[in-house]
Amino acid sequence: MQKNETGCAPHGSTNEALARTAAPEFWRSLDEFSQNDEFKELMSREFSPGAQELAEGDDRRTFIKVMGASFALAGLAACRRWPESKLVPFAAAQTNRTAGVPVPYATMVETWGVAQPCVAKTFDGRPIKLDGNRLFAGAGASMPATQARVLELYDTDRSRAASRNQSPTTYADFTTWCATQRTTWQADGGKGLAILCDLSASPTLADMQSRMAKAYPNSTWTWWGAANDDASLAGASAVATPDFSKASVILVLDGDPLNDPAMGVKFARDWAQGRKVDNADASKQAMSRLYIAESTLSVTGLSADERFTMRPSEIAVFAAMVAKELGVSGSDALLAGTAASRILDEHAKEVFAELAKDLAKAGSGALVFAGRTADPACHAIAAAINTKLASAAAAYRASSTGTSVTAQLSTLASALDAGSVSTLVILGSNPVYDAPSDLAFAAKMKKAGETVHLSLYANETTALCSWHIPSCHALENWFDGRAWDGSIVLGQPTILPMLNDEQGGRNAVEILAELTGDELKDAYSIVRRTHIAACGLTGVEFEKYWRTNLDVGFVASSATATIAPTPVASAIAAAVTRVTASDVFEVALFFDCKTADGRLANQSWLQELPDPITKITWDNALLVSPKQVTAMGQRNGNKVELTTASGTLVAALWVVPGHADGCGSIALGYGRGAAAGKIAVDAGFNAYTVQTTTNLGSIAVKSVRNTGEIYPFAHTQDHGAIDALDPAVPASGIQERLPALVRSASLATYQHEPDFASHANHVPHSLSLWEESNLAGAKFRWAMSIDLGSCTGCSACVTACQAENNVPVVGKDQVARGREMHWIRVDRYFRGADASKPNGFAVQPIACMHCENAPCEQVCPVAATVHDEQGLNAMVYNRCIGTRYCSNNCPYKVRRFNFFDWNRREPVREGGVFMTKPEYYTSEGPNEWARMQFNPEVTVRMRGVMEKCTFCVQRIQGARIETKNAWAMKGGVEGAPDWAIADGTVQTACQEACPTGAIVFGDLNVKTSEVAAAQKGPRSYGLLDELNTKPRLKYLARVWNPAIEHGADAHDHSHEGHEAHS
Amino acid sequence: MSTLSAHSSLDRDPDDNTVEIPGTRAPLVLHLETFAEVTSTVCRVAEARRAPMAWYVAFALSLSLLGFLGFCVTYLIFTGVGVWGLNNPVMWAFDITNFVFWVGIGHAGTLISAILFLFRQKWRTGINRFAEAMTIFAVICAGLFPGVHVGRVWFAYWLFPIPNQMDMWPQFRSPLLWDVFAVSTYFTVSLVFWYVGMVPDLATLRDRAKGKIQQIGYGLFALGWRGSNRHWHRYERAYLILAALSTPLVLSVHSVVSFDFATSQLPGWHTTIFPPYFVAGAIFSGFAMVLTLAVPARELFGLKDLITLRHLDNMNKVILATGCMVGYAYSMEFFVAWYSGAPFEKFAFVNRAFGQYWWAYWIMVSCNVITPQLFWFKSIRTSIPLMFILSIIVNIGMWFERFVIIVSSLANDFLPSSWDQFTPTWVDIGTMFGAFGLFFTLFLLFCRFLPMIAMAEVKAVMPAADPHHKQSHDHGRAH
Repeated sequence: MQKNETGCAPHGSTNEALARTAAPEFWRSLDEFSQNDEFKELMSREFSPGAQELAEGDDRRTFIKVMGASFALAGLAACRRWPESKLVPFAAAQTNRTAGVPVPYATMVETWGVAQPCVAKTFDGRPIKLDGNRLFAGAGASMPATQARVLELYDTDRSRAASRNQSPTTYADFTTWCATQRTTWQADGGKGLAILCDLSASPTLADMQSRMAKAYPNSTWTWWGAANDDASLAGASAVATPDFSKASVILVLDGDPLNDPAMGVKFARDWAQGRKVDNADASKQAMSRLYIAESTLSVTGLSADERFTMRPSEIAVFAAMVAKELGVSGSDALLAGTAASRILDEHAKEVFAELAKDLAKAGSGALVFAGRTADPACHAIAAAINTKLASAAAAYRASSTGTSVTAQLSTLASALDAGSVSTLVILGSNPVYDAPSDLAFAAKMKKAGETVHLSLYANETTALCSWHIPSCHALENWFDGRAWDGSIVLGQPTILPMLNDEQGGRNAVEILAELTGDELKDAYSIVRRTHIAACGLTGVEFEKYWRTNLDVGFVASSATATIAPTPVASAIAAAVTRVTASDVFEVALFFDCKTADGRLANQSWLQELPDPITKITWDNALLVSPKQVTAMGQRNGNKVELTTASGTLVAALWVVPGHADGCGSIALGYGRGAAAGKIAVDAGFNAYTVQTTTNLGSIAVKSVRNTGEIYPFAHTQDHGAIDALDPAVPASGIQERLPALVRSASLATYQHEPDFASHANHVPHSLSLWEESNLAGAKFRWAMSIDLGSCTGCSACVTACQAENNVPVVGKDQVARGREMHWIRVDRYFRGADASKPNGFAVQPIACMHCENAPCEQVCPVAATVHDEQGLNAMVYNRCIGTRYCSNNCPYKVRRFNFFDWNRREPVREGGVFMTKPEYYTSEGPNEWARMQFNPEVTVRMRGVMEKCTFCVQRIQGARIETKNAWAMKGGVEGAPDWAIADGTVQTACQEACPTGAIVFGDLNVKTSEVAAAQKGPRSYGLLDELNTKPRLKYLARVWNPAIEHGADAHDHSHEGHEAHS
Repeated sequence: MSTLSAHSSLDRDPDDNTVEIPGTRAPLVLHLETFAEVTSTVCRVAEARRAPMAWYVAFALSLSLLGFLGFCVTYLIFTGVGVWGLNNPVMWAFDITNFVFWVGIGHAGTLISAILFLFRQKWRTGINRFAEAMTIFAVICAGLFPGVHVGRVWFAYWLFPIPNQMDMWPQFRSPLLWDVFAVSTYFTVSLVFWYVGMVPDLATLRDRAKGKIQQIGYGLFALGWRGSNRHWHRYERAYLILAALSTPLVLSVHSVVSFDFATSQLPGWHTTIFPPYFVAGAIFSGFAMVLTLAVPARELFGLKDLITLRHLDNMNKVILATGCMVGYAYSMEFFVAWYSGAPFEKFAFVNRAFGQYWWAYWIMVSCNVITPQLFWFKSIRTSIPLMFILSIIVNIGMWFERFVIIVSSLANDFLPSSWDQFTPTWVDIGTMFGAFGLFFTLFLLFCRFLPMIAMAEVKAVMPAADPHHKQSHDHGRAH
C-alpha cells in the first residue's frame, strides 16, 4: 500500500514522529515532552479549543470546522483552500503539513449512479487532479469524464446564488420556506410532494429516501437519469456487471463497454486482462476474442476482433440468430420476418458461423453483453445465452433504482399533468433537457405549484423552477455511493464549498434533511449516521471503522450479491415491432465518453477532447457511412433535418468508414447551448429531441431534408476530409505507411512469428552527423512503452495529461486551425483502400518520443530544447524564443506551440477579423476559480513558446527528491549502495489514467523494470526508427485475435506499399 | 555620333546596342558623349526640385503599404504569432517563404557588383548601383521576417552570440543560427560595398549641391572625397578587396539559407541539391527583380542612355540561364526522390505535384521553367513591355517555389495523422504585401536622393575615358 494512495495520508503518522523526534531538553509538561497530538494542536492554535469556533455561531459550517479541527491529524485541516482557512492559517505552519507538498485524499465522484473510487491530489487545500483509487479493484484508472470533474469544481459558470422565481435569494429563505411547508406536509402526509432525484446508489440517499417515505407517506420519489439501466431492467430484470477477464469469447451487442464513462474503467481493464501478451512462449499464447454487433463505430468496435455492422433495430434480430444457433429459445419471434437474411452479407455470414462455433465451444468462457442503449431484447437474449452457457464471466446485480426510471418519470409526468403535484423537488436531474421528448416534461412541469431545483448550474430545468439552490460539487461535501459491484464508496470533501452559506452549496441529502425536518442538517453527520446504522458499531469501534474506510476510500467486502437474470419475454415482442423495413433510415442514439449524458457539456477538457472515432472536437455529429451519405445525396458536413414520429433533429453529417449502412448514429448530451454555460454554447446537436420512452436507443426517420448549410467541424485528424476519400491527397501515402507505423498481427501469426514487428520496416545503418550524447552511463534512463494490443483509443490519457500538465484549451476555432495543444494524442486510422468497408482499424497514442538522437534539439538556435542527464528531451520554456523549427523537424509532430496566451484567454469560440478577443481573466472575483485548478508543479506556459510531453518530469523529480532524502536520512551519504528509485514509483499521468494499463513507464537502467522487459520483448518497435531518432517511447505491436484471417495480416508484413485487400 | 558611325560600314542603330558586330564592342552608353553629360543625367534626378509625378504616386502607394506592414507587425507582436495562419504541422509558411524570397532577391546586387566586377564585365556599371541598393533593401525585408516570426520577439536577440549573465551561447548546430551569421554578414558587406562604391558619386552630388542641407548631407557621407590620385588609388584597392570578399558571400548566403531545409530530416527539405539550386534560384529571382525595377526607373528618370537595351538583354540572358538551372533542379529532385527508393521522399514529391498544393506547384513550374524559355527569342529579350511582364512572372514563380518547398513538405510529412493544411489569414497577406511597401519605399527614396547610376564607374567604360579613343577604333572602348 503506497502512502500516496491511501488518502488521508497523515493518518497514523504521529507515532512515527514521536519516535523520531528527540525529546526537548526542557519541557513544561509531559505532553510537551512527548510532543503528542493534543499538545501540538494546542500549540498550533491561538485560542483555547472551541473558543474560536463558538464565537462564530453554531451553524453547519462551524460544525464542520470543529470537526475539521478534531480531525486535524487525519488530514481534514487541509480540506480547504488556503485563502479561507480560518482555523490554522498555512502561514502558521501546521503540523504534518508542508506547504506545497500535495496530499492525496480518497474520495469519489458519481457518474450515472455509479461511484468511481478516486484519489484527489490536493495542493494546500486545492484538489487539482482526480485519479482512480488503485486500492479498489478495477478502479485504478480514470475515464476523461472523471478527470474533468476537477474542472467542473472550478467552473466559473457554476451557479452561485439561490434564486426564488428567478430573482436572487438566500439559502436561509429556502430553509424558512421548508419549515412552513413541513407543517403542511406533516398534516397531509406530504400529499402532492414529489421528489425527482438524479441516479445514485448512495446508501445515505437511500436512507433519506426511506426517511422521506416515513415522514411523508403520500409523497412520491422518482429516480431519473438519461443514461440509466432501463434497457437491462426491461430485458433481464437486472444490471449486467460482467467480468470480461473471465471470458474467452465475448459478444457485445450494440454497446460501448470499453468506453463507458461510468463503468468503462472496469470493463476496459478486465478486457485487457484477457488480451495480455506474454513474452514467455509465443506459441502457447492465448487471448480472448471480442465480437461486436453495432451500427455506429464505437471504441469497443475499434478494438473488436470481428465486427458485424447493421441497422440498430436489426441487432436484436442478430442476437436472436445467435440464440438460435446456440439452441436458446424464446427469441424466435424476431426471426420470423425476412430480416435475418438481409443483415449479414457473405463475409459476415462466414464470421457469424465462427461466432456461433466460438460461443458454443467456449461454454462457460463465453459472455454476451448488451450495451446501455441496446434494445431490451438484446439484454434478454444476452441473459438467456449467458444462463444457458453458464457463463463464468457474466454477473448480474439488482438496480439501485428498482424499476425502470423511464417508467418512473412517465408516472411523474402524468401526475404533473393531472395537477396532482403541488411541490416538485428536483435533486440534480435536468429533465427539461434530457427527458424523452414524448413526455413533454417541460410543459407538464409548469403545472406543479412549486418547483425546487438543486443543481450545479442554472440550467434548462432551473429556468422553469420557482426555487433554485446551487448544489455543491462532489468534491466539496460528504457523500457516499456504490461502485459497479455495489461496494460502498465514501466521498469526503477535499475543499470547503466554494459557495458561502447564503449562496447555497448543499447536496441532495442536505436538501432532503431540510424537507423532512431532520435533526441533522449537514451531510457529514447524515452520512455518518447512515454508516453507523449500517455497520452496527458504535463509539470508538465505529470511529476505527470509519477512519479505516475513509482512509482507503471504500468499505471493504461490501459488494452486493449477484442475482440470476430473468429474461423478459415481452422485450422480444416489443423488439419485433421496432424492426423496420430495410429501406427505413434509422438513427441510433448513444452516449459518448465526453459530455456523459450532457451533464459535463460545459467542461472544456471534454469538449476539446477529440472524439476517439471521429476526432471531432466541440461537437457531436450525425454519423453515417460513406455509402449512406452518397445514398442520401448528401455530403460530409451538410446540416440536415431529420423528421421522426416524435420530433425533429437538426444535425450535421459526418462520414465514418465502418459505420453500418442504412442508418445514422448520434451521441446524446450535446446541443445544450448557453443553458449549460459558456463553454457549451453552440457545441453540437441535441438528439434528445427525437428520443422517446419507447425508442430510447434508436429511432426510425421519416424524412431527411438538407438545410443547405455546411456545418464547420473542428477535428484534429483528417483535416478537410476523410483522408481515404480525399482526392487531393494521394491515398497511397497513408495505406502504404500504416503497416510500418501501427504494426499488428493476428494471434496465429504471432504464435509462429513472435518478432513480426521487426520485419515491418527497413532500418538502414545510420550514422550521426555529430557525436551523439552518451546516455549509456546515465543514472536514469527513463522510457515508456505503449502496448497497441491493449490500447482501445479511449483517450483517457489525453485528458489526464491535460489535467496534470496545465495543458490549455484553445477553443473550436483554434482546433479548426490545427492548433490543439494536447501533449498526447491518439491517432486513429482506417485500414484498406475501400473507405466504405475498412479492413480494420488502428489506434496509436503519440506523445513525445524523447528521442536519444532528437531532431528537434539539433535545430533549435537558442538551445531551448536539450537532453538532460536522465535521458529526457527537456523543453526549457524560459529559453524558448519560438522559432518553431523544432516542430518542423519533429517527425512525430508532437510539439505544440503557444500561438496565443492561451491561459489568459477564454476558451470560447471566436471569429471575425481579429483573432483574439481581449476577454482576459480578471484578477478579482470568482474568475480566480479557474486558476485554482492549475497544477503548481507545472509551469503555465506563456505565448510564443513551444511545449510538449515531458514524461511528467515533475513526478520524476518529486520521486527523486523523496527517494534521495529518504536515502540520505538513513545515512546514505556514507552508506555503500547508491540510491535508486523503485520501479513503479514514478507514474506518468497518462499511464495512471490508462484503463487497460497499455502505458508502462520506468527506468531502463533497472533491468527488472516493467518497461525494460517490455522494450526487450519481440513486439517492441520504435516508430519511424529508420530515421535514427532512437526513440525512448516504444510501441508493442498489436496482437489481435480475428476469427478469420483478414487481408490485413498479409498487409501487416509488407515492407513497402502493397495494395490493401478489400 | 560621328565616332560611332565612322568606324564601320555595318552601321549601328544608334538606339540599339544589342546587335553583335564582329570585331567591335557594343557601346555601353548611348548618346551621351561627355562625362559632364553623364554627370548631369544622373545628378539631375537627385537635384530636381520636384520628382516626376509618377514618383509621388508610387511613393504614396509604397508608404501606405509600409504603414499597413507596420500595423500588421504591431498586431502580430502584441497578439501572438497565431494571427498568422500557421498551425501544428505547418509552423512556417508565409514568414519563411517571404524571408527566403527576399534573401533571394538580394542576390543579384552583389553578384552584379562583385562577381561581374571580378570578371571584368563592364556592362555591370550601368546597373550595379541600384542593383546593390535593391540588395540592401531586399535583405532588410528579409531580415524583418525571421525577426518578427519568432514567438517571443523581445528575445530575438538571443539568436546572436552576445555574452550574457546566463552564460548561454546560441546552439551552433542549428542552421537558423548559421542563417543569422550568413545574412548579417552578407548585409554588412553588401552595405559597405555599396557605400564605398558610392563615395565618389556622393562627392559629386556634394560639389554640385546648391542648398545648405544637401551640401551638409552629401558632404557628411562623401567622407571628404576630393578625387585625388591617392583617393582613387585607395578607393580602387578597397573596392577590389570588397568585391573579393563579397564573391563567396553570394554563394554562401543562399547555400546557408538552404541548409535550414537541407539539414532537416523532413521529406522534401532533406535534399543535398538545395545549396546550388537555391543559389541559382536566387540569382534568377534577383535578376528578375533588377529588371522589374530597372525598366520603369530608366523610363521615369531618363536613364535609357545609361541602362541600355543591351543591359536588359544581358540580364534576360542570365534569367534564361538560371531559369534553366532551376528547371533542372526541379526535375532532378523528382529523379532523386524516385531513385532513392525512400517512400516518404517519393510521396513528398508526388504530393507536391498532385497533392493539396498542386496548384502552387504548377504555378511555380509555369512561371520559373516555362516562362523564361521565351527569352530564347531576341525579340522578346529586347521587348521592354514583355520583359517587364516576364520579370514579374518570374518573381511570382520564385515566391511560389519557396512556398511549395516550405508548406507542401510540412503539411504532409511522416505521420498521416498530423497532416493538415495551411490557410493564410489577412495578416499573412498583409505582411507579405507590406514588405513590398517597405522595399519600394526605401527604393524610391534611394532613387530620389542618391546617385542611381555609378557615375564614376560608367565614365570609366565610356570611350571618352580612353585617351586614344579618337585614334584607335579597336581599342577605343576596350579599356
